[in-house]
Amino acid sequence: MAAGKRKHVTPAEAGAPAGYTAVPVKLSEKQLSPHYLYVKEHKVREGTDTTHPPNRTLFVLNIPPYCTKACLSRLFSCCSSVQAVNMCEKPGPREKPEAPKSKFFNLKTVPGFRVAYVVFKNPAGIQAAKSLSLQGPLVISSESRPVKTGIRKWIASYAASVVDPAELKAEVDTFMHTYDQKIAEEEAKAEEEAGVPDEEGWVKVTRKGRRPGLPRTEAASLRVLEREKRKRARKELLNFYAWQHRETKRENIAQLRKKFEEDKQRIALMRAQRKFRPY
Amino acid sequence: RLLYRASVGATEEENQDLPKKGKAQGRKRASAPDGVVKPVKLSRADLYKPPTNEELNQLKETENLFHSSLLRLQIEELLKEVTLKEKKKQKIDAFLHEINALLSAVPETPETDLADQSWLPKDVKVPFLQVPFSVKGKFRFLPPAAVTVVGSYLLGTCIKPEINVDVALTMPRAILQDKDNLNQRYHRKRALYLAHIAQHLSKEKLFGSVRFTYMNSNHLKPILLLQPQGKDEKLVTVRLYACPAPGFFKPSRLYPSKNNVRTAWFLEQGSPGEGAAEPPTPHYNNSILCDTGLESNLLFLAGASAGFPGMRDGVALLKVWLHQRELDKGLGCLNGFVASMLVAYLVAKHKISQGMSGYQVLRSILQFLATTDLSAAGISLSKDADSSLPTLADFHQAFEVVLVDPSGLVNLCADMTASKYKQVQFEAKRSMEVLDDSTVDGFQLLLMTPKPLIRTFDHVFHLKHVSKLQGACKKMQLLNELMDRGGNYVAAALPFVTSLLARGLAERVLLLTHSLPQAPQWPISAEPPKHKDAGHLSFGLLLTPAFAASILERGPEADRPEAAEFRKFWGEKSELRRFQDGAICEAVVWGAETMCQKRLIPEQIVQHLLWLHAAIPESSIRYTGAVLESVIRAGREPAGTGEEAMVSIVRSYDDLSRKLWNLEGLPLTVTAVQGTHPALRYTDVFPPTPMKPDYSYHVRIKDKESLLPLPEKPCPAYIAPMKVVCHMEGSGQWPQDKEAIKRVKAAFHLCLAELLSQQHQLLCRPAATHADVYKDGYIFRLQVAYHREPHILKEVVTPEGMLKYRDTEESQLHLGHLQQHPAFSGTSRLAKRWVRAQLLSDSLSDECVDLLAASLFLHPAPFTPPSSPQVGFLRFLHLLMAFDWKNSPLIVNLNADLKVADYTEIRNAFVAARPHLPVMFIATPRDKRSSVWTKERPSAQILQRLLVLALESLRALEEQLADPLGSQDGKMVFRPPLDFYDILIHLNAKQIPRHLEGVDRPAKSFSRGMLKSDALVTTLIFPVVGYDPVQCYLQELREAFGDLALFFYDSHGGEVIGVLWKPSSFEPQPFKASNMKGRMMASLSREELVTVPNVEAILEDFEILGEGLVRSVEARTEKWTI
Repeated sequence: MAAGKRKHVTPAEAGAPAGYTAVPVKLSEKQLSPHYLYVKEHKVREGTDTTHPPNRTLFVLNIPPYCTKACLSRLFSCCSSVQAVNMCEKPGPREKPEAPKSKFFNLKTVPGFRVAYVVFKNPAGIQAAKSLSLQGPLVISSESRPVKTGIRKWIASYAASVVDPAELKAEVDTFMHTYDQKIAEEEAKAEEEAGVPDEEGWVKVTRKGRRPGLPRTEAASLRVLEREKRKRARKELLNFYAWQHRETKRENIAQLRKKFEEDKQRIALMRAQRKFRPY
Repeated sequence: RLLYRASVGATEEENQDLPKKGKAQGRKRASAPDGVVKPVKLSRADLYKPPTNEELNQLKETENLFHSSLLRLQIEELLKEVTLKEKKKQKIDAFLHEINALLSAVPETPETDLADQSWLPKDVKVPFLQVPFSVKGKFRFLPPAAVTVVGSYLLGTCIKPEINVDVALTMPRAILQDKDNLNQRYHRKRALYLAHIAQHLSKEKLFGSVRFTYMNSNHLKPILLLQPQGKDEKLVTVRLYACPAPGFFKPSRLYPSKNNVRTAWFLEQGSPGEGAAEPPTPHYNNSILCDTGLESNLLFLAGASAGFPGMRDGVALLKVWLHQRELDKGLGCLNGFVASMLVAYLVAKHKISQGMSGYQVLRSILQFLATTDLSAAGISLSKDADSSLPTLADFHQAFEVVLVDPSGLVNLCADMTASKYKQVQFEAKRSMEVLDDSTVDGFQLLLMTPKPLIRTFDHVFHLKHVSKLQGACKKMQLLNELMDRGGNYVAAALPFVTSLLARGLAERVLLLTHSLPQAPQWPISAEPPKHKDAGHLSFGLLLTPAFAASILERGPEADRPEAAEFRKFWGEKSELRRFQDGAICEAVVWGAETMCQKRLIPEQIVQHLLWLHAAIPESSIRYTGAVLESVIRAGREPAGTGEEAMVSIVRSYDDLSRKLWNLEGLPLTVTAVQGTHPALRYTDVFPPTPMKPDYSYHVRIKDKESLLPLPEKPCPAYIAPMKVVCHMEGSGQWPQDKEAIKRVKAAFHLCLAELLSQQHQLLCRPAATHADVYKDGYIFRLQVAYHREPHILKEVVTPEGMLKYRDTEESQLHLGHLQQHPAFSGTSRLAKRWVRAQLLSDSLSDECVDLLAASLFLHPAPFTPPSSPQVGFLRFLHLLMAFDWKNSPLIVNLNADLKVADYTEIRNAFVAARPHLPVMFIATPRDKRSSVWTKERPSAQILQRLLVLALESLRALEEQLADPLGSQDGKMVFRPPLDFYDILIHLNAKQIPRHLEGVDRPAKSFSRGMLKSDALVTTLIFPVVGYDPVQCYLQELREAFGDLALFFYDSHGGEVIGVLWKPSSFEPQPFKASNMKGRMMASLSREELVTVPNVEAILEDFEILGEGLVRSVEARTEKWTI
């Protein structure tokens, strides 16, 4: 445990790793010890990130769990107006943009401590944000916009989990409608291509065709192998030649030997653990 | 334990016992690097080299004489462990020689009256209860005519840890007189003889201790115990027996039918009996006779074992077997001597031949015991055809169990009760079954597993004070037996009490047995212990599940003559009843409503019969059958232990599934309905109860028919949604895309909800992932499943275009036929309750506990399947603690689908892949390789912690249950130790919805917004479902601080969350952008910057995240200060 070999470690009040600035932040005035946000200008080595333009984006580390997007936006709006806030679990390139947002499906919330990219409208925001470290801790929850935590938050999220059936139905219907269209298009295209050789003369065989081939699945290929094996086993004659007889005997002794060795190892282990004391 | 300490860190107190254990482990390490069996790799040349003759012989011998090579090796190791080493033997021999020299030097005394014991110095008390005191006869001490070593030491069958050497001292003829056989005169002379020797030997420096005890706890037969001085004190105990000069007593006077204790003398009445016939005193006679045969029996055994090493081993194994079953000590035991005699009998009958191995001897003897009922057809070792000797029938008349020695005079099992022998027989039968079962490790189960009474029997009860049996003797009029037993009322009453109970319990019990009364050892200057000092007497019942809980005892028809006897037996409880078949019969009906009361019907019977026939009051019986059940009893009175609640849930569920099947208007039909909630498997600790919400207590969500809790009121009672999976018919219409399948399922949920409310007027609430149905006060959570969906989720297309499936199929646990064991539900639930009470709710999956409990029922050997939750729970703890998780897979053969070959396959695969498998590996017929239920949990550290807790709990609980005078608080082991945690987060009881489920019922309870279940209100608005603030809180904590700490909680109303810092994350670490969660910068030296957890802020976060729920955060250790 850390206490055992205690090295001399002193917390650095506003210490920050190279390139970063520490910004103290707390939920409310009541909280005594703040968390520290570590901020720096977002830079990418290659290519241009359109969602996070390099000169206007602030990279923020260690955002406490109760600090939401809106809170963050509000905190930094004192520096310059904020265009977008993007929160994620880990720093790194952003995953490809997701399918149109759904109100009911694939709801993902990023829990715990997070990182964020704050995009300012104006590059000046970055310098202003870095200078925040000189002021006292920022306060996340304000009188006008209190942050819900604990019981109130859970009740709110319970309420949010109750959905309106009509709304859900409408969304499902639109999704399925587009999906059906997509499938229909694909099928039409496949049908068009069926039986038509490509430029090298190959014809694609599909399940839909007149003579569907075996499906290329693992189970199917295993089945074929199994059948082959059985066929071969049926043909084989046992104990027909003298050497076969000898072989089985040899095999038998080898098995016994192997088991004996294993047992010896097991016994040695049990003896070491004093497992033979009956009481 | 060590593993855990190493990784989690130890507190001061635990540090102290580290060195000791470290040493033990060091020794282990010497031979096996990490204590794990590895697959053996033999080169081809080694495997296939031509066998030598010797090797072939050995392999063949192993096959013939032992079951397998493993068994052979195991037995050899065990024998090495228990037999006496040659070096020790020499020491013992030297000690015996010195004793011999001392004995001949004990001075003579002048002749005095037997009753005049003034010559005996004050510092030694006569080791005999001299009641009545006055007796005729003269006594003087003369040195023994012969000193001979008898018994197991010479035969080489004595085993560790208690090495006893029996030495017979032959009293010279001059001490004895005619008629010494009468009225305990011989016994008193014996006692005086030993007392005098004891007094002299105690002055010698040679002895570490000189004490008395009773031979086999028979208080007519004191013996003297001598132990050497110094460090060898524990090495050996020499037991001195005094015996009469050979040929002194005339055997015909001591036949079982003869009387040798006069009633007038025993009752201290002046005048001899007026012509009334004196009753026979077989036990008394037997106690004299067995002193006369010591030497001849030794010769007989020596003859049998000469040139027969297998017999020595066999007897040693049998002794271990008896010891593990607690059958080898106390009054009426089956001791090593009797065991050797049985082997000798089988040798004489040619059932054992001289070429047999120790294992085969053990097998034959167990087979013999299993098939021979010595309480009905006794055996005699006598070859004498002398017609004057008493016949076996004579012996049966006098004794319950008959095994006559070679002289034809002594019954070696005179003190054994029939019920004890039945137990021996039962054990032998079970053991034979185990030996014949090739899927289990018979050696481990038979010879290495102790079977204490409390863990073996379903119900156990204690007679707190055996002195109550004195009254029982009076009530049952057992004067003759008392005389025969020299006033020992325990021995006199025991056979009668057991047969009384056996008759009363009849087919409810498979086996009824009692503990053997054991006399203590005492120093020679102390008074000998009285009969009541035998401590308490325990009885064990093995119940028959089918009959044990029946509330009716149907007797004979009222006009039959047996009816009167039935009435007499049951007393006032018997009444006339008319049965459905028209018969009018005597019957006894026991009052019991719920399952937990029915399980205790045997208690009612025992109490009733013991009071009625033996005058033993209820207050002196301590019945432990359901001590633990209070922890699975739901709060409200009068509640059972949940069995009834679950039956009503299942009934409601069945109705729902029928409705689902027959639903009209669904685009696809429902093919199967599966309930996956534990309550539907009968293994939910606290099954949901019907709930009706009180509208006024909640607020309604705008525009929706659902209630919402109010933050300022106590959290509403928890309503658990019970998951029901609804399989839909397969069809080409199902999409092949996982996003689309989600949408279709959502559409089905909407559809199901609508149809159920239209066609069956059920209150439903659909959502994207499920549809909740409110039915009979329960909430069922329907989830539509498409049988190909798991496939589609796991489809992987290989580069060659081959379609592959990842093979981890998320399956459901089907416990199959376990419901035939009524105690399964209770066992599994007690086990779960215990795991959760230890704050390990989330460290072990429900299914894992269910499987562990199932294994107790499917593979009970060496026990029988538990028939009460209590014994099931004890064995659960024992299984956890004793199972070798590191080196063996636990194989649970559900539905008996696994065959012998499968077992080997599972074991081999396990050994080969051990390092990659979960720490706790449980294989089932559907899951032979991967152990899905233990894959994620528990971790190695948690398992280690669990084992330590199991060990401690089992020890504490068994101690408590076995002690009738101690506290009766069964909840003790359900209260977790809290000193282990770094931080305790105390919760506000108001916001804990399951507060009432706590181990100790809270003093203050809150109104939780539910109406009484019989309130005449129809619920039209959906209640709050599955809302548990504590679980929300824990989830947030783990998400935010999972890297820094572990969180422990009892999900059944725990008031505290234990937090344990992970030491690794408290090491200062260099800065990394991806690893700054909750950390801050600190300077290690002047230049270097490192990151450490921002502990102060995190502690405040604990309060912030749980606002309204957390009462206080208590930091208990200063470990985290940096």
